[in-house]
Amino acid sequence: MEINRDITIEELIEKYPFSVQYLSKKGIRCIVCGEPIWGTLEEACEEKDFTPEQIDEVLVELNELYKQNKNKKDDDKKRNIIETRHLGD
Amino acid sequence: MMTKKEILSKLGISEINKGVTTGTEWFDTEGSTTASLSPIDGNLIAEVKNGTLEDYEMIVNKAQEAFKVWRMTPAPVRAEVVRQIGLALREYKEPLGALVTLEMGKIYQEGLGEVQEMIDICDFAVGQARTMNGVNLQSERNKHRLTEQYQPLGIVGIVTSFNFPVAVWAWNSALAITAGDVVIWKPSSKTPLTALATMNIIRDVLKKHNVPEGVFNMIVAKSSVMGDNFLKDKRIDLVSLTGSTAVGKRAGQLVGKRLGKTILELGGNNAVIVTPNADMQLAVSSTVFGTVGTAGQRCTSTRRIIIHEDVYNEFVEKFVHAYESVKTKIGNPLDEKTLVGPLIDHFSVDLFKNAVEQVEAEGGKVLFGGQVLDGPGYESGNYVVPTIAEAQNHFKIVQEETFAPIVYLIKYTGDVENAIAINNDVPQGLSSAIFTRDLLEAETFLSGMGSDCGIANVNAGTSGAEIGGAFGGEKDTGGGRESGSDAWKAYMRRQTSTINYSHDLPLAQGIEFKF
Repeated sequence: MEINRDITIEELIEKYPFSVQYLSKKGIRCIVCGEPIWGTLEEACEEKDFTPEQIDEVLVELNELYKQNKNKKDDDKKRNIIETRHLGD
Repeated sequence: MMTKKEILSKLGISEINKGVTTGTEWFDTEGSTTASLSPIDGNLIAEVKNGTLEDYEMIVNKAQEAFKVWRMTPAPVRAEVVRQIGLALREYKEPLGALVTLEMGKIYQEGLGEVQEMIDICDFAVGQARTMNGVNLQSERNKHRLTEQYQPLGIVGIVTSFNFPVAVWAWNSALAITAGDVVIWKPSSKTPLTALATMNIIRDVLKKHNVPEGVFNMIVAKSSVMGDNFLKDKRIDLVSLTGSTAVGKRAGQLVGKRLGKTILELGGNNAVIVTPNADMQLAVSSTVFGTVGTAGQRCTSTRRIIIHEDVYNEFVEKFVHAYESVKTKIGNPLDEKTLVGPLIDHFSVDLFKNAVEQVEAEGGKVLFGGQVLDGPGYESGNYVVPTIAEAQNHFKIVQEETFAPIVYLIKYTGDVENAIAINNDVPQGLSSAIFTRDLLEAETFLSGMGSDCGIANVNAGTSGAEIGGAFGGEKDTGGGRESGSDAWKAYMRRQTSTINYSHDLPLAQGIEFKF
């Protein structure tokens, strides 16, 4: 898994910014007073009384979001190359 | 106005900078880099190499050694260093103020104000150096003297936030250094360059005065390097943390577990009460600064206005009118005509948008603003229109602190006690204010049955505290006090001594113990 339970919230926000909105919908505020909260993803979930099963679900969904974002970025990159070629033609 | 290049050049900031120092020595590190992006345009200002766990260990060891020397340096001599730092800050006030603006986004006037706070606390600490006094007490025993004194504490860990990237360090350091402590500063990862610039400014002063390496330390580091381990570290005698209630609660628990000391300056949910006896124009003008100043990103920003029903419409009309004027002055904070700069980043913009949506979803009504600006000058996407919304105090979103320029209007009826009850009915307790010319209302607000906040002002807004008073709040705000008054006591260890200058051994409470 790309995103695991031990990742700090600070790193999560930096590397996977889409997580902020996702976790916000789950009731976890990753950023308070403009700064990331401290601790790991697992701790943030436990703070909100998530069960181990719910934490697993969060991990699965975050990794799925990561894949979707990565695919979208790859697609955008390919499209950009094609458009650039057209311009070159 | 200086150019970006001039600002950085004057403050010794390069494209890539070292992020660890013990005062005058800087250390190259193996850590990742932190890119400092300006909220003004989203562009890179410069990068900083983060410290590692090894760097942290080295710094703590250095600080421990330095403390052995510094604690025995007389307080007025220590304060002379602080005085010289104040002079150096005066010299660099403009470039440092401009860098605060460039990196954090507050308007230039507020950037200068932030550096002025640093200067003010240095001056304050210099005076304090000769009055860090204990007391002599009457002993119950013959030829005995009972006395209290304050001793240096040790290593003070200072965690600062992006919204006051350098002033909070100064509040803590000026007092801690004068008290004989040594400091380790962890600046916000969002504003590391202002921290570097500050350390560059004080470097010559430290050199000239032979201040031992390890007295003034700074590490730019992620929370994986200076997070829980820092809080749990028994060698850190006092942790002074400015940040959110969430981080503060974590710090309180971890430091408390080892019975360490903390100063926690956390979130606020600050209210202004406007009674029927208020000077309406004064209330409006003062409150506008409280709500939109620093784009609503001060701990003391006004989040709620509690208005009596008899003057509600009048206040709202004037307040909205003032916002119409403010709206024309949103933009680049380095432009001296600007009154509202950007939010720190797009995450804060998202939280702003969520709050606007949520207040409406809970039954509130947006009277003004709520938009994110786009187009020329707003390309970073960090500029928002300050927002006024009618709401109820019990709304979930009103009970939370949103670090953005959103203010909630709440109507009250009857006596001032009803307004005070609303003021106090939130988890946080940092700052509060009342606008009234009625002595009874003002005194009730300041009485034991009044505001439960650490700061309670009359005919002055919730933000913009002077350094002379103790700064901090109650409940979820953390209970710590920084800056003026007797806040210095938190940086020292209190010691009670009994001195027997007789040849006898009388025990306290008249206890006989013969052997």
